[in-house]
Amino acid sequence: MNDMRFVERTVGNEEVKIAARGVHVYYGDTHAIKDVNIDIADKMVTAFIGPSGCGKSTFLRCINRMNDTIPIARIEGDIMIDGEDIYDRRVDPVQLRAKVGMVFQKPNPFPKSIYDNVAYGPKIHGLARNKAELDEIVETSLRRAALWDEVKDRLQAPGTGLSGGQQQRLCIARAVATSPEVLLMDEPCSALDPIATDQVENLIHELRERYSVVIVTHSMSQASRVSQRTAYFHLGEMVEYGETGDIFTNPRDQRTENYITGRIG
Amino acid sequence: MSPLWLLVSIAVLALIGAVIGRRKAMASAGGDARELHSLPNYYGANVALLVTAPALLVLAAWMILQPMLIEGRVASIVPDAAYQDAGALNLLMADVRRVAGGLDLAVAQGALTAQEAHDAEATDLRARLAEIGVAVGSEVDTVILEAAQRYRVLDSRADLARTVVILILALAGFIFTVSRIDRTYRARNSVELAVLVLLIGASTIAILTTFGIVMSMLFETMNFFRQYPASEFFFSTTWDPSFSGRGGASELGILPLLWGTLYISLIALLVSVPIGLFAAIYLSEYADKRFRGFAKPLLEVLAGIPTIVYGLFALITVGPLLRDAIASPLGLGNSASSVMTAGLVMGIMLIPFVSSLSDDIINAVPQAMRDGSYGLGATQSETIRQVIVPAALPGIVGAILLAASRAIGETMIVVLGAGAAARIDVNPFEAMTTVTVKIVSQLTGDTDFSSPETLVAFALGLTLFVITLGLNVLALYIVRRYREQYE
Repeated sequence: MNDMRFVERTVGNEEVKIAARGVHVYYGDTHAIKDVNIDIADKMVTAFIGPSGCGKSTFLRCINRMNDTIPIARIEGDIMIDGEDIYDRRVDPVQLRAKVGMVFQKPNPFPKSIYDNVAYGPKIHGLARNKAELDEIVETSLRRAALWDEVKDRLQAPGTGLSGGQQQRLCIARAVATSPEVLLMDEPCSALDPIATDQVENLIHELRERYSVVIVTHSMSQASRVSQRTAYFHLGEMVEYGETGDIFTNPRDQRTENYITGRIG
Repeated sequence: MSPLWLLVSIAVLALIGAVIGRRKAMASAGGDARELHSLPNYYGANVALLVTAPALLVLAAWMILQPMLIEGRVASIVPDAAYQDAGALNLLMADVRRVAGGLDLAVAQGALTAQEAHDAEATDLRARLAEIGVAVGSEVDTVILEAAQRYRVLDSRADLARTVVILILALAGFIFTVSRIDRTYRARNSVELAVLVLLIGASTIAILTTFGIVMSMLFETMNFFRQYPASEFFFSTTWDPSFSGRGGASELGILPLLWGTLYISLIALLVSVPIGLFAAIYLSEYADKRFRGFAKPLLEVLAGIPTIVYGLFALITVGPLLRDAIASPLGLGNSASSVMTAGLVMGIMLIPFVSSLSDDIINAVPQAMRDGSYGLGATQSETIRQVIVPAALPGIVGAILLAASRAIGETMIVVLGAGAAARIDVNPFEAMTTVTVKIVSQLTGDTDFSSPETLVAFALGLTLFVITLGLNVLALYIVRRYREQYE
């Protein structure tokens, strides 16, 4: 039995969670993403790096169909999560986004209490049958975001009153509260100081055990610290994708090498 | 020299000063503008400013003070026997002014020579002035003629003095500034100071005017309360002014008027707040750019319609419609003028106030809030209800209270829509009236500013002012207190 489980786990680790095939994104006349093909593994942290405007955030926003909220955006190609095409007609983007959580560049807690911020997702999706269950979800999510000890005595205080790092962890707790399978993070530390960044990075390590995490970052050291796989984007194309160690020590493409050695970007 | 010509000469002097100032500055820098402390135009503007500003200020003050002073001097030579009280003196002085003005006009038109005007006799002056279009109330007597002649003399002397003083002042400013121009003179800074003074002046005028309005209302209101008990005014439920102006037959209780005001405003808000808010949400969250581009200005056109037009709409369309469709069949009354009519039409008028302001406020909620909510799998209406409206609530409340202030102060729609009968009733299909309507009716026609029936208008106005002021303060408080600190 035990052996079987080991095998399963290995396979599980390599299991493809998100698969993109021939993805193109257009903003009006701008061709923002050009033919991206990528397999993102489950229970792993995948980092997207690349210079500003290279399309990494745009691609990230395709994975939970956030680009649908931008009227001029147009997406071609297929993105599959667990083998299911998320751009299929039958898929409800609202349901999808509960399954694919997102954390944004700037901490954006709602102007509500800390409790209500975390309870927001479970409430709109009806995940809790009663107040006790909701309390539990809130506590679990805040614990997972490593924020519980700091805020447990002031759950009714406004979320906007927390420090920047706490706010970002609150946003992570909020995203975790709907029990997503994938967590997308769009430069989650770019507005944080080094200490808060460290806390969030540690958190990403822990989150990896439960979720498939995709993180967009400008910091190459961050990518090397937190991720197992790294994809390098350049001018809308995905240039290189592989083990993080490989990408940073032995890039195959000249553009990747230029970027990580600091010659461009 | 007439004031117009004085203005023209000041302007010419300023223009010449500007040119000379600029030239002198350039000359002092040897023709190289880079050597100057300020741009060459600042030197010119500086001269123009010092020529015009003091001269114009003194001219303005002079124009106000001169008639007052001369009138005082002339009034003192009128024998006490010629009038009984201050009112009679006022009438007499009005005649003096008219005769003096008539004589001046006659000279200007050539009907009389200066000498003839000076020697004019009282006997046929009225007829002669009438010939050139100046009507004098009664036959001109010698007292008035004498005073008028005195008036003319003083006036012409004062005019001459004014011309001389103003021109000297302008010239002094001219010479003073031009002489100070030099390569290192900080003309730019002194122009900056002038701009500052101008801005301070503009803001002070607004504040002082408000203060003046309040004070004038306050004094008249105190007059009123000396003649009519305040407790009756605030707590009596009857509004029944007698227009005889004699005796204490009037009942001047504000309650029926306040009731009408609040009732109509309430209905207006019940109409305008939901419609306005929903329109704002649609425009800012759902509508695409093109639709919003023409729908929003179109909605704002509603705000540009004069309220009297709304009043007509209430009078000829909404009022009869409501009476025939609802009030009469249900036995609620058969008056076309009703609280409901005025409230509905006023509500329509207020829609753009609520919608336009709320739309701006909703648009100001950062996109990050929407992203955060959509990212958690919320639908659009969930996002609006649970994130956007709460975030924008202080501003929306502010917009609503602003609309409430408008509703409370509205007059025309009420006159035509709700009638002028002061009454306390819960039936919205009865005619009632508001504070503002009664202010108008107490002040129109032949009014006597010493009777409580007229003065009550000021007490009503002040009460209304205090109420709307309170609402505005409340709005500000709510906005400040509950403003969410989103980035």
